[in-house]
Amino acid sequence: MGQEAPVGVKEGADSGGSSVSRFVSVVVPLLLLASLAALPLASPSPNIIRLLFVTLTLVTASVGWNLIGGFAGQISFGFAVFYGLGAYTTALSINGGVPPLIAFLLGAIVAAVASLLIGLPTFRLKGPYFAIATIGVSEAVRVVMMNVPFTGGASGYRIIDKTRFVQSHHYYTALVLAVLAVGISILVRRSKLGLALIAIREDQDAASDLGVNPFVAKLLVHALAAALAGAAGGVYARYALFIDPDGVFAFRNGVAILLMPIIGGVGTIWGPVIGAFVYGLIHEEVVANFPQAHLLIFGSLLILIILFEPGGVVGLFKKFMRSLRARSSVGSHS
Amino acid sequence: MAPILKLKNLTRYFAGLAAVKDVSFDIEPGGLVGLIGPNGAGKTTLLSLIAGSLKPTSGKIEFEGENLAGAKSFRAVRAGIARTHQIPKPFRTMTVHENVEVGLRFGRHEKAAGTAKKAEEFLEMVGIAKLAQRPAFLLSVGDLKRLELARALAARPTLLLCDEICSGLTETESGLILRLLCDIRGAGTTILYVEHNLRAIMSVCDPVIVMNYGEKLAEGTPAAVQNDPSVIEAYIGKKATI
Repeated sequence: MGQEAPVGVKEGADSGGSSVSRFVSVVVPLLLLASLAALPLASPSPNIIRLLFVTLTLVTASVGWNLIGGFAGQISFGFAVFYGLGAYTTALSINGGVPPLIAFLLGAIVAAVASLLIGLPTFRLKGPYFAIATIGVSEAVRVVMMNVPFTGGASGYRIIDKTRFVQSHHYYTALVLAVLAVGISILVRRSKLGLALIAIREDQDAASDLGVNPFVAKLLVHALAAALAGAAGGVYARYALFIDPDGVFAFRNGVAILLMPIIGGVGTIWGPVIGAFVYGLIHEEVVANFPQAHLLIFGSLLILIILFEPGGVVGLFKKFMRSLRARSSVGSHS
Repeated sequence: MAPILKLKNLTRYFAGLAAVKDVSFDIEPGGLVGLIGPNGAGKTTLLSLIAGSLKPTSGKIEFEGENLAGAKSFRAVRAGIARTHQIPKPFRTMTVHENVEVGLRFGRHEKAAGTAKKAEEFLEMVGIAKLAQRPAFLLSVGDLKRLELARALAARPTLLLCDEICSGLTETESGLILRLLCDIRGAGTTILYVEHNLRAIMSVCDPVIVMNYGEKLAEGTPAAVQNDPSVIEAYIGKKATI
C-alpha cells in the first residue's frame, strides 16, 4: 500500500517541481540572509537585536548538533558541555587579553578536544547507549564546573571586555558564525564524509561491510559539531559578560540544542535553522507567559512532532509540495 | 598458485556453543567455491568471520598473505574482501545509486583494483540501472538482493562472499544471478558462495565445501561431495538399523 504513492510522486518531481524546490532552498535563504544583514541599519529596538543575536547563536549550535545527530543519527543530549566549554574558554581567554576572534577559535578547539574525549569511549556503544552516556557526561561536567575554583565555581565568572560595546558587532559576529555553520553543514552533506555518515545512520554494520570506518567518521563529525557549539557558546559569553555553570552547562541547554533540529527537520540542511528560529523567537515568550509550564509545553511539542511529523517543518513542507505537485500533474493529464 | 584465502583452525563460540569449530580450508584464486550445509551449520557465521563482521575466538584467516583474523570489516574490505547479506541491509533513505556509491568510494582503492567503473555500470551488471534514482526503501526483495550484489561489487573485491543471494528469488531470477556470478568469476574475482539451495550450488560451483554443526564435513567436486556418505547423512539422515 505504502509503496504505490511515492513512486507516482517521483514521476511528478521530474516534470517540473524541481524549480520550485530550488527556489525555496536557494533564494529564500539568501533573502533571509540579506534581510538579517540589513536589519541593524533600520535601527530596531536593542531588544530585537538581542533576541536575534541569541537566535543566531542557537542556529549555530543546532546546525552543529545536526551534523552528528541528524546526518550520523547519533542522538546526543550532551551538547551543553561543548556550548559551556566554548563559553568558559572564550571568557578566560578574553580576560587573559586574547583578541575576541582568537578567543572564539580557542573555545571551538577546546570543545572539539572534549568531544574526542567523550567520543573515544562512547562511540564504541551502539544505539541508545550513546545517548544515555551523553546525559551522564553532561551532568558530570556541570557538577565539576560548579566546583572549579578558578572560574568562580557555582557563583559564575565575569568577563572584562576592554573593547567598546557595540551591539551590532556582536550581532554580525553571530550572523557570520551561523552562515559558516550552514556552509559547513552543506559541505559535509555533499562530501565523502557525509555519505559515510548517512550510511552509518541507516545501517552501521552494512556501512562497515563496504569499507566505512564508523568510529573515525563519528569522531570526526562529532569534533566538528562540538567546535560549532563551542564557538556559539563563546560568542554568547562575550555578549553576556557573565556566565555560570547553571546557565551555560544546564542540561536544558542540551535538550534545547536537540529540540531545535527536531522541530525544523532532523538530518536536513535547513531544518535545524528553521527549528532554531522557531525555538529562539518563541521560547522567551513561552517562558515569560508560562513560567511553570514551559517545559511541559516544549515536551508536548516534542512528542507531537515525533508522533505525527518526524520530518519536522521541512517534512511538513515536503508533504505540502508533494500534494501540490500531485494535484497539478492530475490537472495536466486531464 | 598460492591460495588467495587460507583458513586455519577457525573457531567461533557464542557463549558455550561452537558455531564454527576448527574449520580449515584453502581457496585458490579464480575459484567459485560453494559452501553448503543444513540450517544452523555455521555457514553464515563462517562468512561473517572471513568478512570481519565477527571476531573469531581462535584460528587464522590469511588473505593474500595478510592475517586478517580479528580485523574489522572495513579493513577486510580495503584488503579486498566484500560480502553480501542474506537479509539485505540497504541504506534505506539513500537512492539505489547512492547505495552503490558507498561501496565505490569506501571500497578497495581504485588503483589497487585497476578499474574505474562507475556506479551505473555496477547497477547495469545486476540489472537494476533503471531504479538508480529510487530510494532503496521502495525496492522489492529481489531488487534489494541485486543491490546487495552491486554494492559489494562496487567495493572492487578480489574475494566476493555471497550469502544466499538467491533465496527469495524466482527460478528465472536466480538463474540470472548464477550466470552473473559465473561472469564475475570469469572477470577474475574469486567467489565464496554460501547457499542453502543445493541445486543452485551444484550447477555452478567447482569445489564445494560442506559444513555441519560448525565443522567441515567434506570438500571436493560437486559429484564427489554428493556421494559422500557423511554428507548424505547430514542432509537426509542415517539409515535406520533395527
